[in-house]
Amino acid sequence: MEKFERIRIGGLKVMEGGACVAASSPPAALRLDADVCAPLARNRINLTFLTHIAGDHDHQVLCTGAEAGGTAYTLVKTHAAPETAVQLQPGAAIVALYPHDQRPEIIGNFIRSLARARVRLGGLASSPSAIAALLPFRHAKAIVGQLFENFRFSAFASPEDFFAAQPPPAELVEKVVATYQEKVIKVYCIVARPDLDLWGAGISSATGLERLAGALMDLGELGWRLPFLAAAPELGSGELLVSFSTQGDRYGEVRDILARRLPGVKLMHLAPVAGLFLHGPHFGDRYGIAHTLTEALEKAHIPLVALSCTISSISLLIRQQELAAAQLVLGNTFAAPVACPAGPSGP
Amino acid sequence: MSAKYVLIVDDDPDLVETVSMMLESKGYEVGKAYDGVEGEEAIKQRRPDVLVLDVMMPRKNGYQLCKELKSNKWTEEIPVVLLTAVGEAVPTTSYSHAEGLAVEADDFIPKPVDAATLVEAVERLL
Repeated sequence: MEKFERIRIGGLKVMEGGACVAASSPPAALRLDADVCAPLARNRINLTFLTHIAGDHDHQVLCTGAEAGGTAYTLVKTHAAPETAVQLQPGAAIVALYPHDQRPEIIGNFIRSLARARVRLGGLASSPSAIAALLPFRHAKAIVGQLFENFRFSAFASPEDFFAAQPPPAELVEKVVATYQEKVIKVYCIVARPDLDLWGAGISSATGLERLAGALMDLGELGWRLPFLAAAPELGSGELLVSFSTQGDRYGEVRDILARRLPGVKLMHLAPVAGLFLHGPHFGDRYGIAHTLTEALEKAHIPLVALSCTISSISLLIRQQELAAAQLVLGNTFAAPVACPAGPSGP
Repeated sequence: MSAKYVLIVDDDPDLVETVSMMLESKGYEVGKAYDGVEGEEAIKQRRPDVLVLDVMMPRKNGYQLCKELKSNKWTEEIPVVLLTAVGEAVPTTSYSHAEGLAVEADDFIPKPVDAATLVEAVERLL
């Protein structure tokens, strides 16, 4: 087993009391907006966590508050075409680590912790600051323990300190921090990142997950950035489909690292893609935000390559040639400042 | 001359990231903390030129921390901008502006934060 030094990191959140709904379908058998986000928004169901990965089949996983889980499952099942597999998993929790600063070694170390804690992973989502995992609540203690093996937290010395400091009642997935609804949804900023490569891999075991973590940590050693990562289960095969993006001029090096670390795993590659990162506020605490976004893109016929919504933000990947159109659509849909800083850059 | 140091304390990591990006783009050095206790530790480590402080946080809320800072002669001069998710925008909150006034914060910015307003407030207090 490789030996790593613990990484110092800012914070950790565990949000319990969730329900997870996963779906896998042939393309167009389950439309992300019309069949998932729109019905949930109409029923005022908040999406605390959402990932969508498009490909030969489309895969999505979402998390709602526990009480809304059954309704969310029924809505998705009702709207989906018959060939769609839909699954409800009650008793879910979200564990989020931050800030990742787009550093692959932090995200890799988080994934390695999940692998070593042997959690049954329901999905992964990244936000501009955080990497979050959706998992059964009964596994939350194990993953927190493992995270303390791999990270040093400035606010907590041990898992016991962390759990002792959680305010009663425990932080809930369904907790609504902000109830305001705006005519035009305000966004702190929309950051565009063109010239990205999208990589995908199907991971079938904890060993595979640890190998993927090793690959990401290799990218980290090279000082590269990882602006996007999302994962959703492929219902039927039992694999976890992981998608992430890297800077586009590193194709050969990334391919070599992945091939070395993930022998026998079929890799997916798509380039060029562009990322659009919508920074809050409170996208994880209010219903209807993902719907507003996905509806606008579907109406403009801009297909999503991947989407990740967690904490307060939504990140999405599209094909590079759609970037200008998508920026125009989002600019007309959301109220965003004219100028936004670019955020962390680099390879 | 070294850059002015702004400490942001908020339990929403994406908001910390966003505000931090905005202030860094203006040339400020930015520190980050994710709850009141961590913020207090960060202030002991390095005295900020301005503190941007959320109200609703676990372990120690922004009002408590602001009150403690303003009643300590070593920290009373640190300008504090309170981010207040109160009033019309968030009717469910149990916090009020009156508490913010009582703890002598130097400025108040309602959430959702208008980035330009926040940067202006920070610059005004430096």
